[in-house]
Amino acid sequence: MARMKFYCDVERCIECNGCVTACKNENDVPWGVNRRRVVTIKDGEPGERSMSVACMHCSDAPCAAVCPVDCFYTTDDGVVLHDKDICIGCGYCFYACPFGAPQFPESGAFSTRGKMDKCTFCAGGPEETGSADEHRKYGANRLAEGKLPACAEMCATKALLAGDADVVADIYRKRVVNRGASVLDWGVQYQNQSLRDSAGLSGKASTSD
Amino acid sequence: MRRIEQVRRCAGPALLSLLFCLVVSVPAVVDAQQDAPSANDPIAVPNPATELWRNVRDRESAETNDPGVRKIPPQMLARDLWQEVAAAQRDIAGSTQVEGPDAGVLINTQGEQWRNFRITQLVPLAGYLLGGVLVAIVLFRLVRGKIRLKAGRSDQRIKRFSVVQRSVHWTVAITFVILGLTGCVLLFGRFVLIPLFGNEAFSYLAIASKRIHDFVGPVFGVALLLQFFLFVRGNGPRLKEDIMWVLKGGGLLGAHASSHRYNAGEKSWFWLAMLGGAVVVASGLLLDFPIFGQDRAMMTFAHVVHSVAAVLILAASFGHIYMGTVAMEGAFEVMATGYCDANWAHEHHDLWYEEVASTAEPYPAGTGEAPVANPGSEQARSSA
Repeated sequence: MARMKFYCDVERCIECNGCVTACKNENDVPWGVNRRRVVTIKDGEPGERSMSVACMHCSDAPCAAVCPVDCFYTTDDGVVLHDKDICIGCGYCFYACPFGAPQFPESGAFSTRGKMDKCTFCAGGPEETGSADEHRKYGANRLAEGKLPACAEMCATKALLAGDADVVADIYRKRVVNRGASVLDWGVQYQNQSLRDSAGLSGKASTSD
Repeated sequence: MRRIEQVRRCAGPALLSLLFCLVVSVPAVVDAQQDAPSANDPIAVPNPATELWRNVRDRESAETNDPGVRKIPPQMLARDLWQEVAAAQRDIAGSTQVEGPDAGVLINTQGEQWRNFRITQLVPLAGYLLGGVLVAIVLFRLVRGKIRLKAGRSDQRIKRFSVVQRSVHWTVAITFVILGLTGCVLLFGRFVLIPLFGNEAFSYLAIASKRIHDFVGPVFGVALLLQFFLFVRGNGPRLKEDIMWVLKGGGLLGAHASSHRYNAGEKSWFWLAMLGGAVVVASGLLLDFPIFGQDRAMMTFAHVVHSVAAVLILAASFGHIYMGTVAMEGAFEVMATGYCDANWAHEHHDLWYEEVASTAEPYPAGTGEAPVANPGSEQARSSA
């Protein structure tokens, strides 16, 4: 099966927050919950880089390991999801997560944590696929419709890649090779020109042969 | 028209000659490129961007120790941003439009430590400790049996705890047991109860446990504070007496261990419960109200402190609960009614008994009353 992954190409991300907006719109997330965010390192200094971050759907997910009620599961596509009916809002997943993905809406007395909410890779949740309940609790299930996550599909610079890890890695690898052929270094660009497919409007990286 | 004709006439041979030149020179250029030094050689243009891209290609060679390879300053290495952040071994924070604690942090470096602590240390060690204490108590019971009053019951009772003291003690006790049980559900439930009941059924128990734990915790904190002030008298150290008590094993080794109002064991429990309890309550409040901008590092730290202190107190409480209920004849009624049997006081707190009996004064002031003297009680006790 596929192994779904996100990858954000920091050489392309322009911190437009389009992915954040696309995610909120697609999944109708509650106010104050951000399944995705864009972090800018060295803002305004040389070497500034921006990166869009959400749940990375870890193979060995720390959230799933520490959850006291064991509400996480990994789908056949390698997407880490959780069951909000079982979640108790303890916050342990937020402590353990390397990427700050788990979010908690405030609920009840003293603003205690509500049920955890996080990026689902636009793959819904354990409810019946396409049901109203699924959308209410987890947002869109684009994967079931054959689409990729809204954030990546909406990314204007194609910085945010989503899909099968092999495909994503392949696209990124070719980008890196082609970046070696920068306009700043003519000789190399001509050497690698065959890597570039002028019919690259298909949205896929060309092959070297 | 005529001018264009002229241009054409001139351009024809010129183009031809240019084409000829190209055909001849292209192989030469290609040869020259092959002979030329590597394309990775620096271009003599002071352009930082060019440097950066060259270093992208050079990053393989940059990691070799070959002295011939030009060393690249680390800040020039265009590494993958994730690698850079992960290699930093600390939280690298940037700016972000999203509000919230630690929203700017790319990799939470403490999460893995906390996960390993919880899964590989806290849960198993807490299980062994609590289980071990329970086993030890059962073994102790089997070896030692019930601790009976050697002299039997007397008809004289001595006031030991006031109504306020007992009310606060039982408030602390009941909330403590609730917090201990619900805390254990959250700590061990996944490993013990989910295999028995399944995820969904356990989820109801866990949600209830979390809510009860969250709401009872602050009540416990307040009651504990009151208990400190109500019980601190008599729990101060009396070094010589306490050391003798410990050396005699609290009387378990056969010899009688003298003590005042509280023996060294009770004092240890008091201070452990109070100091440990203060730590548990403080860290618990940090976890209970995640609305004051506590960051993740502080909350994981609070969690570690909270769980370790709570497990230690829980283990010690098993001993206290056992001694106060079924272990010892005449013990439970003291906290239930406020009065102890005169023989119980004589056997377990002889110095306190002598003080109370001789002075017939309240001890400590305001919390106790004079011995309740039944008619002929002194004779009755001594004859018993």
